[in-house]
Amino acid sequence: MRQTLKKSGGTIAVVISLIVLLIIWWLFSLALKNPAVPPPTDAIKNFLASLQKDLLTHLGISLYRVLTSLFLAAVLGVPLGIWIGKNQKIDDWVAPMIYLTYPVPKVVLLPVFLIILGIGDVSKIVLITLIAFYLILVTTRDAAKNLERGYISSVQSLGAGSWDLYIHVFLPGCLPAILTSLRLGLGTAMAVLFLVETYATQEGIGFFIMDSMSRLNYEDMFAGIIGMGLMGFFLYLILDKVENLLCRWVKL
Amino acid sequence: MKDDYLFIKSLKVDFAPKKAPVRALESVDLSLSRGKRGVLIGPSGCGKSTLINVLAGLNADYSGQVLIDGRPPLRGGETALILQDFGLLPWKTVWDNVVLGLKFRQKSAGEIKAAAESVLEKLGLLSLAQRYPAQLSGGQRQRVAIARALVLEPKLLLMDEPFSSLDALTREEIQDFLLEIWEETRLTIFLITHNIEEAVFLGEKIFIMSHSPGRIRQEIENNVSNASRQRGQTQFWEMCSFLRSFLHRSSHYAADA
Repeated sequence: MRQTLKKSGGTIAVVISLIVLLIIWWLFSLALKNPAVPPPTDAIKNFLASLQKDLLTHLGISLYRVLTSLFLAAVLGVPLGIWIGKNQKIDDWVAPMIYLTYPVPKVVLLPVFLIILGIGDVSKIVLITLIAFYLILVTTRDAAKNLERGYISSVQSLGAGSWDLYIHVFLPGCLPAILTSLRLGLGTAMAVLFLVETYATQEGIGFFIMDSMSRLNYEDMFAGIIGMGLMGFFLYLILDKVENLLCRWVKL
Repeated sequence: MKDDYLFIKSLKVDFAPKKAPVRALESVDLSLSRGKRGVLIGPSGCGKSTLINVLAGLNADYSGQVLIDGRPPLRGGETALILQDFGLLPWKTVWDNVVLGLKFRQKSAGEIKAAAESVLEKLGLLSLAQRYPAQLSGGQRQRVAIARALVLEPKLLLMDEPFSSLDALTREEIQDFLLEIWEETRLTIFLITHNIEEAVFLGEKIFIMSHSPGRIRQEIENNVSNASRQRGQTQFWEMCSFLRSFLHRSSHYAADA
């Protein structure tokens, strides 16, 4: 009962926020009177029209790049983060390395990656992976480190081996933090995606937006912006659902 | 005596031995025969939990002799451990928490199901099997922790302040319940507490520990625990006040030292 109430309350809140945002947008377009900011009705019409053309292909390529990067970052960052967090001695060695390199903005390595790895997908995916990897690694390590010791010793006393601990204690215990870092990583990954797609490529939503701009095709440009926004929104939504599914116990 | 079920002789444990070592336990001697209930009581921070970690096989970094049934402590063996906050995994249901130890022991699915069902049934938890620990009351959670230990059919039950987070009534219920289980299974119980009434109620043998560094100050044969199950009786309170005055005195000694 309480849940359904909450749910319907949530849906109403989302609808109201959406309407408010559309009104703000509309007011902006009225005030600016600039083709770069079309009113919402025109923009959505253009967006649907562009989807019939090649916008969908560009979105697909970008989606592939982001998802591959996040997947690789998680597959590398999660086990490594838990391993470091669980072994104090290793953490003593690795921590300074992480603290020295963490604040360096990895985006500046883009030219280096372009030269070494070429202008194809590899250089883009590697760069996005690297950035998301750091986020996931640090968050997972901290979560593993701060995991309640009582869980570990009680499960050890039940006869758990090192692998059992990993599967039954560390991974599920760190999962909420991992999903949070994935959500944060997603935001950063989308931003970096846009940047890497504006250089030396003919594909992807970033290219589509910048190319439309240079051709003074503001309708297409704005359709691309909407497409990218929706992509980020839906990916975020999926992560949210995954969290509800896998971390039911957190909200009890 | 060396042939006692639980036998500890001149046990020393240091914390952080590499940097600045702090002695947590200083020559602890203690023994408990098979099927007895021993209770260790002492002020907080006196190294009680350190001792339990050694007995549970979680800390092998000690000197001295520790024998359980003639063998050094081994984790996942015949010893079960129940911690203060119960150590239940919040991301697993009651059922999954209880079967965890059986899974580590590579039991067959049929064996696991049968064993878990019978223990949960006995403890009145079967209807709660699909709940998460957060959906249970403190007393229920404590019973799940006991179920998780009992399902492994341990010979020795180690408990580290197991009832301290429960309200007074629930605590007494669970203490009664623990005695019932003991009468049925006759396993050896070694329990740590800082609650005097709990020590007198549960402990056939009471060990008084002093702190910094921890050592056993006194060993008391407590006949009250066996003589009556009534908490309100005069003998019970006499034993409690005896223990209380003793604890006060020994904490004075510790302050003077």
